Amino acid sequence: MPTGYSANDLVLLLPEIVLTTGLLVVLVADLFTGRSRQHWLGWLTIGVLVATAVPIVALSGHATTAARGLLAVDGFGAFFKLLFVLAAAITVLISRQYLEVEQARPGEYYFLVLCATLGMMVMAAGIDLITLFIGLETMAVSFYVLTGFLRPNRRSNEAAIKYFVLGAFSLGILLYGMSLVYGLSGTTRLREVAVALATQSDSLALKLAVVLVAAGMAFKIAAVPFHMWAPDVYEGAPTPITAFLSVGSKAASFAMLLRLLLEGLPAMAPEWRGLFYVLAVLSMTVGNIAAITQGNVKRMLAYSSIAHAGYILIGIVTATPRGVTAMLVYLMIYAFMQMGAFGVLALLRRRDVVGDELKDLSGLFFRRPLAAFAMLVFMLSLGGIPPTAGFMGKFWLFSAAIEAGYVWLAVIGVLNSAISLYYYVRVVVFMWMREELESASVHPSPGVAVALTVAVAATIIIGVYPAPLFELAEASAKTLGMAPRVLSLR
Amino acid sequence: MTIAFYTLAAFILALGVLVVSTKNTVHAVLFLVANFLCVAMLYVLLQAEFLAVIQVLVYAGGIVVLYLFVVMLVNLKRGPETHVDPRRRDRMGLLIGGAVLAEFVAILLYGFAPRATGAAPAAAAPGVGNVEQVGWSLYVDYLVPFEVASILLLVAMIGAIVLAKKEP
Amino acid sequence: MNNAAHFPLLSLILFTPLAGAILLLFVNKRSENAIRWIANIFAAAGFLASLPLWFWYDTKSPAWQFVEKLPWIPSIGAQYFLGVDGFSVLLILLTTMMGVIAVLSSWTAITTRVKEYYVFLLVLQTGMIGAFVSLDFLLFFLFWEVMLVPMYFLIGIWGSDRRLYSAIKFFLYTLAGSVVMLLGILAIYFSYHTMTGVWTFDVTEFQRFNLDRNLQWWVFLAFFLGFAIKVPMFPFHTWLPDAHTDAPTAGSVILAAVLLKMGTYGFIRFSLPILPDASREFVPMIAVLSIIGIVYGALVAMAQRDWKRLVAYSSVSHMALVMLGMFALNPAGLKGSIIQQLNHGISTGALFLIVGIVYERRHTRMISEYTGLSSVMPVYAAVFMFMMLSSIGLPGLNGFVGEFLILQGVFVVSKAWAAVAATGIVLGAAYMLWLYQRTMFGTVENPKNEKLPDLNLREVATFVPLMIMALWIGLYPKPFLDFLDTSVGAVVARVSPQYSGQAVTKQADCPENVAVNKFVLAGCETPAAAPAAPPPPGNVQPAPGSTPPPATPLKTTGGQ
Repeated sequence: MPTGYSANDLVLLLPEIVLTTGLLVVLVADLFTGRSRQHWLGWLTIGVLVATAVPIVALSGHATTAARGLLAVDGFGAFFKLLFVLAAAITVLISRQYLEVEQARPGEYYFLVLCATLGMMVMAAGIDLITLFIGLETMAVSFYVLTGFLRPNRRSNEAAIKYFVLGAFSLGILLYGMSLVYGLSGTTRLREVAVALATQSDSLALKLAVVLVAAGMAFKIAAVPFHMWAPDVYEGAPTPITAFLSVGSKAASFAMLLRLLLEGLPAMAPEWRGLFYVLAVLSMTVGNIAAITQGNVKRMLAYSSIAHAGYILIGIVTATPRGVTAMLVYLMIYAFMQMGAFGVLALLRRRDVVGDELKDLSGLFFRRPLAAFAMLVFMLSLGGIPPTAGFMGKFWLFSAAIEAGYVWLAVIGVLNSAISLYYYVRVVVFMWMREELESASVHPSPGVAVALTVAVAATIIIGVYPAPLFELAEASAKTLGMAPRVLSLR
Repeated sequence: MTIAFYTLAAFILALGVLVVSTKNTVHAVLFLVANFLCVAMLYVLLQAEFLAVIQVLVYAGGIVVLYLFVVMLVNLKRGPETHVDPRRRDRMGLLIGGAVLAEFVAILLYGFAPRATGAAPAAAAPGVGNVEQVGWSLYVDYLVPFEVASILLLVAMIGAIVLAKKEP
Repeated sequence: MNNAAHFPLLSLILFTPLAGAILLLFVNKRSENAIRWIANIFAAAGFLASLPLWFWYDTKSPAWQFVEKLPWIPSIGAQYFLGVDGFSVLLILLTTMMGVIAVLSSWTAITTRVKEYYVFLLVLQTGMIGAFVSLDFLLFFLFWEVMLVPMYFLIGIWGSDRRLYSAIKFFLYTLAGSVVMLLGILAIYFSYHTMTGVWTFDVTEFQRFNLDRNLQWWVFLAFFLGFAIKVPMFPFHTWLPDAHTDAPTAGSVILAAVLLKMGTYGFIRFSLPILPDASREFVPMIAVLSIIGIVYGALVAMAQRDWKRLVAYSSVSHMALVMLGMFALNPAGLKGSIIQQLNHGISTGALFLIVGIVYERRHTRMISEYTGLSSVMPVYAAVFMFMMLSSIGLPGLNGFVGEFLILQGVFVVSKAWAAVAATGIVLGAAYMLWLYQRTMFGTVENPKNEKLPDLNLREVATFVPLMIMALWIGLYPKPFLDFLDTSVGAVVARVSPQYSGQAVTKQADCPENVAVNKFVLAGCETPAAAPAAPPPPGNVQPAPGSTPPPATPLKTTGGQ
């Protein structure tokens, strides 16, 4: 019997090892930093994330498995890991000022952000049911705590409880589905599952398993009708955490979903295609229509993120290489624009003003023209107006749908993106065309400034010259184990 | 075997429902103990004896007792109708009695069931004991998830501290 | 024969306004006059940069000229591909000229948030030029959408009355149309790949490619939604009066003069040549909608009490005439349609400027507020007279040439349509003359009007180029028509080949592509390479692999 692991495994797991070491260092360092020097923890956290990014990039060319076939080391995983590290870094950058206003201790906060990142990385790399589940659970538990991090704040507490209860429920459903998959295939390794299940796609239990897995994951990506938690949680959580939740958690769940469906359950493609078709249409439509009526920007962005989950699901419905590429492209772009939008909102938080109502944005242009410009770019990008990155993302998704023959899905998608412009533009109206309410000025800290600059620059550059991102995403999507097999089923 | 399995499954489900539906927290925890014990029996049925023992020791024994302590220490409020309905206790007694009886039946059935159906799980190699097998899976095959799970527990611990700690 | 001479002239024209906008970002917003000067200089520079197009464009050559081609997104086959033909040259010149006029006319009209105003105006300029020069469909779509945002801000911030409502209406309306158009573009893109194995958004390739008829039908509908909203055609026109009425003067001028041309440009550049079969099938529908638009627009204009709204509805009527001429699908109709687009840009742009001048002085647009202005503002009244006559198509001025050609083209197809269209023109004369009579003649009854200053030098300067253009096109339209020979010929050759002998046909990239399409006539530089002699006039010569078009497609259009 082969015992354990070779040194090669240690190399392949370097990103996870570095991150784990780093998060422990942050936890310990928190004990030894005085209150006055705690902003160094933020920069330490950034350092850890940068150190994690290095081995990710170095390993991105591999196409192999590590840890006895539980984790894939491939371009697909590397793409997502980079996305998570990036999202985490922006979160940390926009958090410091926010935490100071909220008078919350940053040590555990940064530690939990890193733990959530670790969970996401495992979710994106795992090709084994147990590994994926543990990753998901790690991420989820970190977010439960982070959501409720502002203890004196009732909204935050309520959000945490709600998220915890519904999250645990959805994890139960997911686990049930996974156990059925295990029971039917006799293995937890996705690539073996695919082989074992290739011949029994008629089994009723397997169909039930697919439905349960889909439902469990739909909770995590906040797809209608499993979205009820999202608006409350997004509104109640600290703004930087909302950003991280809506970007990182969603991207990680999509990565896991792709692994599960394309590597483990390609034989069930007709079933889950139909399921996600319905979920995509519902999410887009319900999300957009609900977002129109919101007066709170965080809630509005929550509904918009539900709609965006719907757009991204188009990629899963097609299940073609182009569809998967489109999802990768879109998630990366989404990370920049969504994090940026929440970054601006976090900037508005002051001691006496929550800053997330639509009217709090009134006349932002006169106070902070640059922040208003940044928000304009993010809103247009979320709405998919060129020359911002959001257009390029939508372009990929809709072209994938048309290529795969889902024309009506594409039509519903574009009409929805036209509807969505209504509420994105409303934000712009408040910022640019309303008189300002009060003259108190918000001074962005260097961290926020860096984060917003990066986000704006990325959103515009990708919008004008997207070729490098497209090529990276295409190459990464190719490495996803089973994608070509599904294509042949079509 | 099959009958035993379904009986146990029915009990587990019923007890689970009781855990969430009962108004008295202490009772809920007690139902949870019973639920865990039934699950342990299920493990025995599947010839995973080690797991069954662990289930009894850790969950039914350790964790639930901890729950019980916490519930009794923290949640002293009782519903207004507690001890108001005198027949409530009788009904409870009947229920628990029934459960114990059913358990006896289950054990009897198990004892007399023909034992021809595969003495060991298919995966068990000859000469490898149940405990050893679990050890191999946990510390070799699934080492990485195991380590991640340790981080998960750390997160849970830190999270509990963060949420419970008084403001400095 | 490429006269680009390796100098990226189109890029220069395209990015001059953008450079101005970026430069303005770094100017202190309080130095308003500096901002105005910079904006004017860059607008003028853009116009000067575009003038070489007029002189260097080779009207005899059927090839795309001033071509620039660079890889942009290689993985999906999108290119930075610019090029012009005669049609787009004229529209680009119109755009740059109207750009100068719009910027110049805003000098005193805009006093708040001056910096942003000029930034948006210049960005808008780049967007419009970009749409006219792009030969890559994705690039075109990018510029097409880029136009929306600055226009939205121009209406929303500097507009009047219900500006927020009008702005969002304009924005969502045009957006809804254009996203559906995007799906049409994608459908062509994938269909092209299926047939040829090549990923490309190259419009010149699509124009030689014969799509499946059924697909053409759907794609035409998708394009129709996008372009018809922009034109705007009859049932989709409701955003236009609101947007026009509430936009600032320069916004209205740009909107009328250039933005509406996007829709007609789209039809001629994309719908007709790429989807010829479907275009023929849709002739009756579009003709009916256009005729309704002509009459309805004129009648509603007559009923308006708001001066600017009246001009806006006249726009609806005129643009419907443009559409009718275009869908006659013959050389006369198409040429008339294009000339009328220029005319509409010149006349209606000028009419909006005229409204803007009194609005700036009096801050009301109600026609009843103004009487007898000719005695107070004689120069103004003269300019108005000139432009009004141009708008109603007085012979000797530009409107006549366009309307005449359109009627000529339509007459061939259906006498009934031509008759109704002519009625519309008469109605147009009626509401314009009535407007002139109400505002200019009579005695000054409103005391507020007694002291109105006449046009100053800057204002006159905005009208002079427009009046020159109106006279030029009216008296000597030949240079303009020459520009259109080859480009209209190419469109007609695709969409109704039975006319191909009547026009000098244009073949994109002649030297390489003689084998693909056989309409190689005298205009091509390499007749020797042509496999056959020029086909006799009227002879149908479809491209290989195409479904032969019906011999007399226009017979089926009815109404004769």
